[in-house]
Amino acid sequence: MSVSVDRVGPRPAGLSTAALPVGIAKLAAFVRRDVRITLSYRTSAVATVLGLLLQVLVLSWIGKLIRPSELPEFGGVHVSYMEFVTIGMAVNMMAAILLYQVATSLRNEQMIGTLESLLCTPTAVWTLQLGSAASSILAIPLRLGVFLGALALFFGMSYHLDGVLPSIVIIAAIVPCLWGIGLMLAAAIVTFRRGHGAMGVGTAALALSSGAFFPVGVLPGWIQSVANVNPLTIAIRGLRDALLGGTGWASVGTHIVELAPLSIVTVGLGTLAFRLALKRERRNGTLGTY
Amino acid sequence: MRKEAQTDAMAVRGLVRRFGETTVLDGVDLRVAPGEIHALLGPNGAGKTTLVRILAGLADPTEGDVETVGTVSLVPSGDRTMYLRISGLENLIFFARLHGMRLRDARARSLEMLDQVGLADAARVPVRNYSHGMQKRLSVARALLVEPAVLLVDEATHDLDPEGAIRIRKLVGDLAGGGMAVLWTTQRIEEIREFADTVTFLASGRVRFNGTVAELIHQAPDPRYVVRVRNGHPDRPPQAVALQRALGGVAQISQSLAGRDQFVLATSEDQPLGAAVVALSEAGYHVLACQREGAEIEDAFMALVTEEPR
Repeated sequence: MSVSVDRVGPRPAGLSTAALPVGIAKLAAFVRRDVRITLSYRTSAVATVLGLLLQVLVLSWIGKLIRPSELPEFGGVHVSYMEFVTIGMAVNMMAAILLYQVATSLRNEQMIGTLESLLCTPTAVWTLQLGSAASSILAIPLRLGVFLGALALFFGMSYHLDGVLPSIVIIAAIVPCLWGIGLMLAAAIVTFRRGHGAMGVGTAALALSSGAFFPVGVLPGWIQSVANVNPLTIAIRGLRDALLGGTGWASVGTHIVELAPLSIVTVGLGTLAFRLALKRERRNGTLGTY
Repeated sequence: MRKEAQTDAMAVRGLVRRFGETTVLDGVDLRVAPGEIHALLGPNGAGKTTLVRILAGLADPTEGDVETVGTVSLVPSGDRTMYLRISGLENLIFFARLHGMRLRDARARSLEMLDQVGLADAARVPVRNYSHGMQKRLSVARALLVEPAVLLVDEATHDLDPEGAIRIRKLVGDLAGGGMAVLWTTQRIEEIREFADTVTFLASGRVRFNGTVAELIHQAPDPRYVVRVRNGHPDRPPQAVALQRALGGVAQISQSLAGRDQFVLATSEDQPLGAAVVALSEAGYHVLACQREGAEIEDAFMALVTEEPR
């Protein structure tokens, strides 16, 4: 048996040999595309912001029922429920967007019919996957900044400004974890075509055990065990320490050390699952179909 | 293994593709020379799309060799292969950059291609506002971004009106005139006349015919014509029996359901139509009209579809 596919010939005119590596230039192309597509959905962006504001309003009223003494201390300081919950909301919002983008990027291209056109270009599937999530990742600090800034402005909440940089470091440290989980979900979605329901359950379970909306201490014991290895719990605790407790860089190292093994495990498993799913699709010739 | 195709822009040898127990392509051979428009014909399920997908690099063959000189580009059959929310220009810039072009080069090349396919005026219009034909031309423009040596066109005209289809064929014909090899997959079999140079006919995953369009037409069974015949007696139209007597062994004739003075005339290769018309005229009949029943290529298509695989 012989199998060979040879495409011989000169590279097309206009190909870049410039300083920017081609891979990064391709990621930039995805970002440009997604920014333009996002800007074409102005109403949707406004609706998202309004929905978030309504959620904050509801939580602010709930917060009036909860005394700060019932909440854990951060850096030896008692915080209000609003301060407590908005940090959790911010991290969960970031996680949900990232997981959704990573898990559904290829599926979305399948659904709108552009995946095969993308695969006709000399672009690796990994680049397509990373590229489709790139704009969301880059927008994370901006989204969090706008969200927390608006809360400070309209709800009078105060944060320790010296906790901003440590918070960014912790957020950067959680991205590989979420990426790995997203890859596992992406593998399931590429294989089974439909997986949004499972993804909803997954993200809800992560949020529930993350301590975003209530202290982990009130959860049943077995959920507390899950919460201890939930990367969101670690990140939320880190951001609360830095932004609310004013611990600065003191606890950042501890949180990164907690997140590192989780990143290794989730990225490893996610990469393996995604590779296997792609291999199966290529073998069956069904990657472009939905 | 790196192989140089000799004079062909694309050469396919012994291509096999199996899905489980099902063999979709079974030893397909195909060659396309530079500047040639090669039509790929076949009924639904013949394996055309699988072959095109393999040639475009979207699927792997189970066995066989594919050799191409230069880049291969695909014009897919689907409409929705572009991002509808952004402009045609932005779509092309995006795909050009995925081909490795710098932003400035990508923009210049995209504008050049939009101009070539007649979409320069619509460059900044969102693709969702493009007509079918415009989207198809944009698809061709995208395929041309990298100056391909081989252009794969998958059912480009199946959902276009005649004017749109002619425009696409003219565009592709001009590209072939410039030396590009074109593999043109279609179900509109009549469009390959005077457009394609060569044809491969695929059925059940096997090549049933490979040759020129003229040779394909030769595959058609003996032609049949619908003729209108009068005998000078308006109240007593001619009878098929009498006409057959006049024709002798030159052709076979039978009454048509289309009208009392219309008949179906079946000729053979050694007894052409002219001989039948002369025989009728000499017997005192007036042949008022004569039209071929069915199209030659369509007849050849049906003959090849129903032919037992060799």
